[in-house]
Amino acid sequence: MAVITDDLALPPRRFSLATAIRRNPTITFGAVLLTALIVVAIFAPYIAYSDPFKIAPVNRLRPPSERWWFGTDQFGRDVFSRTVYGARVSLFVGLTVAAFSSLLGLALGLLCGYFRRVDGIVMRVMDGLMAIPSILLAIALITLTRPGLGIVIVAIIIPEVPRIVRVVRAVVLSIRSQPYIESAIAGGTKNAKLLMRHVLPNALAPLIVQSTYVCASAMLIEAGLSFLGAGVPPEVPSWGNIIAQGRTFFQIAPWTILIPGTFLAITVLAVNLLGDGLRDRLDPRLARRL
Amino acid sequence: MSVTSGNILEVRGLQTQFNTLDGVVRAVDGVSFDLARGETLGIVGESGCGKSVTALSILRLIPPETGRIAGGSIKFEGEELTTLGEEAMKGLRGHRISMIFQEPMTSLNPVLTVGTQIAENVVRHMGVSWRAARERSFEMLDLVRIADARRRLDEYPHQLSGGMRQRVMIALALSCDPQVLIADEPTTALDVTIQAQILDLMLELKEKTGTAIVLITHDLGVIAETTERVVVMYAGRKVEEAPVEALFAEPLHPYTRGLMRAIPRLDIEADAAGMRPRLQEIPGLVPRLTQPIPGCAFAPRCGFATERCRAEPPPLVDAGGGHTVACWEVDRVRASAL
Amino acid sequence: MTAYIVRRLFATLPVMAVVAVFVFFLIRFAPGDPAAIIAGEDATAEAIAQVRAKLGLDRPFMEQFFIWILQMLQGDLGVSIFSNLPVSRLIVQRVEPTVALTLSTLFVAVALAIPIGVVAAWKARRLVDRLVMGFAVLGFAMPVFVLAYILIYFFAVQWQLLPVQGYRPIAEGFWPFVESLILPSVALGVTYMALIARITRASMLEVLAQDYIRTANAKGLATDRVLLLHALKNAAVPIVTVIGIGIALLISGVVITETVFNIPGLGRLTVDAVLKRDYPVVQGLILVFAAAKVLVNLIIDISYAFLDPRIRY
Repeated sequence: MAVITDDLALPPRRFSLATAIRRNPTITFGAVLLTALIVVAIFAPYIAYSDPFKIAPVNRLRPPSERWWFGTDQFGRDVFSRTVYGARVSLFVGLTVAAFSSLLGLALGLLCGYFRRVDGIVMRVMDGLMAIPSILLAIALITLTRPGLGIVIVAIIIPEVPRIVRVVRAVVLSIRSQPYIESAIAGGTKNAKLLMRHVLPNALAPLIVQSTYVCASAMLIEAGLSFLGAGVPPEVPSWGNIIAQGRTFFQIAPWTILIPGTFLAITVLAVNLLGDGLRDRLDPRLARRL
Repeated sequence: MSVTSGNILEVRGLQTQFNTLDGVVRAVDGVSFDLARGETLGIVGESGCGKSVTALSILRLIPPETGRIAGGSIKFEGEELTTLGEEAMKGLRGHRISMIFQEPMTSLNPVLTVGTQIAENVVRHMGVSWRAARERSFEMLDLVRIADARRRLDEYPHQLSGGMRQRVMIALALSCDPQVLIADEPTTALDVTIQAQILDLMLELKEKTGTAIVLITHDLGVIAETTERVVVMYAGRKVEEAPVEALFAEPLHPYTRGLMRAIPRLDIEADAAGMRPRLQEIPGLVPRLTQPIPGCAFAPRCGFATERCRAEPPPLVDAGGGHTVACWEVDRVRASAL
Repeated sequence: MTAYIVRRLFATLPVMAVVAVFVFFLIRFAPGDPAAIIAGEDATAEAIAQVRAKLGLDRPFMEQFFIWILQMLQGDLGVSIFSNLPVSRLIVQRVEPTVALTLSTLFVAVALAIPIGVVAAWKARRLVDRLVMGFAVLGFAMPVFVLAYILIYFFAVQWQLLPVQGYRPIAEGFWPFVESLILPSVALGVTYMALIARITRASMLEVLAQDYIRTANAKGLATDRVLLLHALKNAAVPIVTVIGIGIALLISGVVITETVFNIPGLGRLTVDAVLKRDYPVVQGLILVFAAAKVLVNLIIDISYAFLDPRIRY
């Protein structure tokens, strides 16, 4: 019998970048795109060749050219520089919301999965929050407070948390029903120890995948809120604000809307592709469903 | 032409291949056999030997994204099926050649009623009204001895037991009076008692309708009870073919012998300690089919194998009485004890 | 069946209760003084006190709560701070354009997305499939307002085929009504279509690999019968679920689309109310939108029972 193992052995695989890219084209593409955008955001002061806030009425509504790569807006501000700075706002909002709602969602999800008495109440509240369209929930919060980046982030986090809670809770419940966990509980293992040992590693993959989608959704909501005039203060050059301010002159200066809009779409696309790729890699069960 | 030969189905040198990540898999590699009118032919072999793929190839149900019939010929009533147009092929399926699958639990559509699933086949091929097809479905359910058939027509598969579902599959397969019925492991998923009932039912219906049956199984017991002739397959190739009595009286291929040693036997007396002889398994594993196998595919697992076995493929030779075998060492095998 | 529907109906009550309580608590626990913020930057102490009285924030907490619940149960959503009109009347006045826009988008998107997804699954990994998947991935990343402006730029400004903005009520004639809805519906519907096409493809791919599809093919059934009856009916539950989840996208999108296209619907009302900080109107709209979403999900829950005989009701 041992003779045959030779025949069945797989050829040794060496790591090669080309193979890795071929096997995960979406992850690679998304990651490269996202990295490029993050680099742009971090080095915005060096990349932007002029002051994004500088008003120059003489140069208002200039089309894209060698001097103003992406043209100028109705105040003569350089759209390229503003767009580069806008990457900071979008990515900061996206990543912060993803991080905080993941942590909050993870904590609540673990709580619900473990303490069945809490579960009923928390899940009813989550159901209620999920019934409110997220942009409206954010709008309601913003109506009641002074405008600012912080409140926008909080307003986006609240409707995103229930999505994470559901994912984490489902993982905990499925692991709880495994025989080895039941026997561990019967054997008197402490809850906290169980969490660290079994639940966290299993919850991590779906959590990462879900948080990429939350990140993409947060960037879209932030831009939407700013566009509606209910987002970050109008003087901040976020993509949504640039677009909102370009509305009046859209017919004569479409670049003020189309260029930051394209950047927003590409950023969301990059994050979504990363999420899709990670989902296919990390969570095959979910991948088959979508 | 076929009328003179008496064969309804003639398979010659069939090759079916699948594209996988590890390369091309030669799932069926040059298999030939005939099926006479009204005959029951058994195809036996371990899982992965290509017997199910052979069945799917005959109906041309190999998924085109991954697999294809790469060579050989399949003639049904003298008509070549490998090159037949898809529409004409659809006219044959479920009508003149029909098939029963292994898993009665998953082979029926869960969201359509049993009556609809039988009747649509009748409407498709007999060109009758839905009302008439429904009546035919009722008759068929009655024929396969489903109690309260009228009510069952409007039930969904999940309301039926496994054995009943396989009866429904048989009713469905026979609803248009096919000339050939291909049954792929029809009883494997069922309880032992139900297995016997289903096999008896198939044979009984065969007597009534004159349908020829290709029965595919890994179970030599089933072969012995139900078939007239047997094809033994190994690694996508036919290694032996014989009338069923001849095969059980004197299996000539070492692989067939291995299969027979793996059957529990009740006719051998237990010894004083109440022990029966240990069942023997065939050592080793079925070879991977991604590489062409130069010699006999069974050679790596065979106790009789020689250098020639590993280098040259053995031809099928006639051993007399319709018994053919593909083995270089057939004389040594014949001389050895079973 | 009736019992099942009644049971599902009752199950929506706690959800709506949570929404109502949430909206109630939001203004009472918001950081800072909401009355001051609503009254505006330069408001006098008197004006702030007036707003506070109007919102009922000056009364004892429990009393506020019971008044609020009683009013809600009578369908009284309060009075706009800005116009002094009942919120329910403001909402009824603006409901037509929004219903027209959402329903037309819903039907067109579903009617296009499902066939697209089915064809993509049927021709998996071929060119059609790759195009559909490309559309789905791009469509899902495209912000509603960016797409809206691209559409306006080409179809209204450059080629002048359709009106740039505005809404024509159906009472003013069917064609102008339809014309005014085409661009907004497309802008609003693309993301939704992408979502539905994607789930349809995925769900169909899973179903097409099932044994019973092989059985259907072994019967020699026509391809359309196999795809549209045998496969699609089995694939329906996840598709319908996503159609329901996507309603949230439509509602969020409506707020933005109505702003871009200057459509005087509920979305526009929401934005105006936010900019004027007219909280009673905002909370009324939240309740109405949440109720709409809960209602759609209820319809979807009930439809499961028709789609899959294995679901017991």
